[in-house]
Amino acid sequence: MIEFFNVAVETQKRILLEQITLKIHKGEFVYLIGKTGAGKTTLLRLIYMDLFPTQGNVIVDRYSSSSIKNNQIPFLRRKVGVVFQDFKLLSDRNVYDNIAFALQVIGQKKKEIRSRVLSVLTQVGLNHKRYHMPELLSGGEKQRVGIARALVNEPFILLADEPTGNLDPDASRGILELLEKINQGGTAVCMATHNYDLIRLAPHRTVLLENGRIKKEISPENLPKIF
Amino acid sequence: MRIFFFLKEGIVGLKRARLSAIIAITSFCVALTLIGIFSVAAINLKDTLFQFYREIEIETFLDPGLTPNQINNLQQQIQAFPEISRVIYVSREQALQEFQKVFGENLQAVLKENPLPASFRIVLGAGYSQPQYVEKVAARLNQLTGIQEVLYQKEIIQFLQKYLKLGISIGGIIAIFLLIIITVLVFNTIRLTIHARRNIIQIMKLVGATNQFIKGPFIYEGILQGLIGGILSVFLLWIIHYTVRYFVFAELAMENYIFGGLIALGILLGLIGSYLSVNKYLD
Repeated sequence: MIEFFNVAVETQKRILLEQITLKIHKGEFVYLIGKTGAGKTTLLRLIYMDLFPTQGNVIVDRYSSSSIKNNQIPFLRRKVGVVFQDFKLLSDRNVYDNIAFALQVIGQKKKEIRSRVLSVLTQVGLNHKRYHMPELLSGGEKQRVGIARALVNEPFILLADEPTGNLDPDASRGILELLEKINQGGTAVCMATHNYDLIRLAPHRTVLLENGRIKKEISPENLPKIF
Repeated sequence: MRIFFFLKEGIVGLKRARLSAIIAITSFCVALTLIGIFSVAAINLKDTLFQFYREIEIETFLDPGLTPNQINNLQQQIQAFPEISRVIYVSREQALQEFQKVFGENLQAVLKENPLPASFRIVLGAGYSQPQYVEKVAARLNQLTGIQEVLYQKEIIQFLQKYLKLGISIGGIIAIFLLIIITVLVFNTIRLTIHARRNIIQIMKLVGATNQFIKGPFIYEGILQGLIGGILSVFLLWIIHYTVRYFVFAELAMENYIFGGLIALGILLGLIGSYLSVNKYLD
């Protein structure tokens, strides 16, 4: 359902990605690892089509990077949830409204919004804090709100770009557990991370990027030999 | 639902970026007030000129020796001019009385005789109160027998004719210049308020809002800024107008459509400005 065919992304100054051929299956959990600047974020941006390959093709669901029209991109994004290291919450509204916002801007009805927001808040364990403002939340809680917002559209895949980068080990484990739970519900997860402890804790297929190329793909069984 | 959402987000946006909203509204207000002052000046100038042209009269002094019959004939002849609406006969005695009324002096007592000639006071028709007609009519009147002299405010008419076009051109250029400066100023402040909140655009894009939906709140916000700026400028202009009337020039005219026009212009500028600015953040 996500496929990269010999993808390259080049800017005038440098090559961000090259020779990327990769497939992410339905309901899969994949880690993307590699040093800063290896191309993890670029690869994720290609999936939600915030960026387009200069060579090759990316297929996401029924959309292709080579043929998607500008007015189709919003509809692709409703099927792809994205979570960031810096949460990207709106500081002027409470937890409930932050999540509801994702449904309001695609024109959902109020009743539908309410039931879906409450359901997703229960899923991430923050129902009791739904009227809190973001600044009153811990880092881990903020990230849960970010995840809830990404999930509320019921995407088939959740992309997480260093979701634990700003969190302490306990909160990081909590987020990982949440992502695992979401994955068990049938949503694919693609997580870029530096945190190898987490990978050891929950081993999954891992893609190692180096200088914009896929250096290695490691199956969960082989992980203990490497880390 | 959608409109309520846009409106709510627009208002939230104003509150959120309070400082830039205040700057934007202030620049709307100042800009629109300037346009208002300019418009008031323009309509007053126009009114004054119209008034002047409406009052253009041609005075024709008659030869002293004309018999009442000849005078009557002459009057009929002049009345037949298509440009002329009224011909009023002023006899020598009437002229003397008027002179006395205006200057308070009895000419006859001083000079022992009445030196004033009889005359026709000629008023041009509504469509002909313009300099070019006045001159033509005066020239034709001059050729009639029995007419001693034709008088009208030649210098003023010529002066106006000469400088009116220049004045209108200069005024027009200044107005266009003002409008351009104002538009750029207002658009830049709107862009500033949107730039301050590009993260909200980013999130909207991320969760799959269509471009239409992203623009909505910002356009409503722009319209609100324009509307508020417009209403403030109307207040300001009203105060300025009132003050000038009170202290300087009591005849200063004002038209209600200027007030409506300022608010409409504010809304329009807000709409276009926010539309163009938010488009910059959408690919």
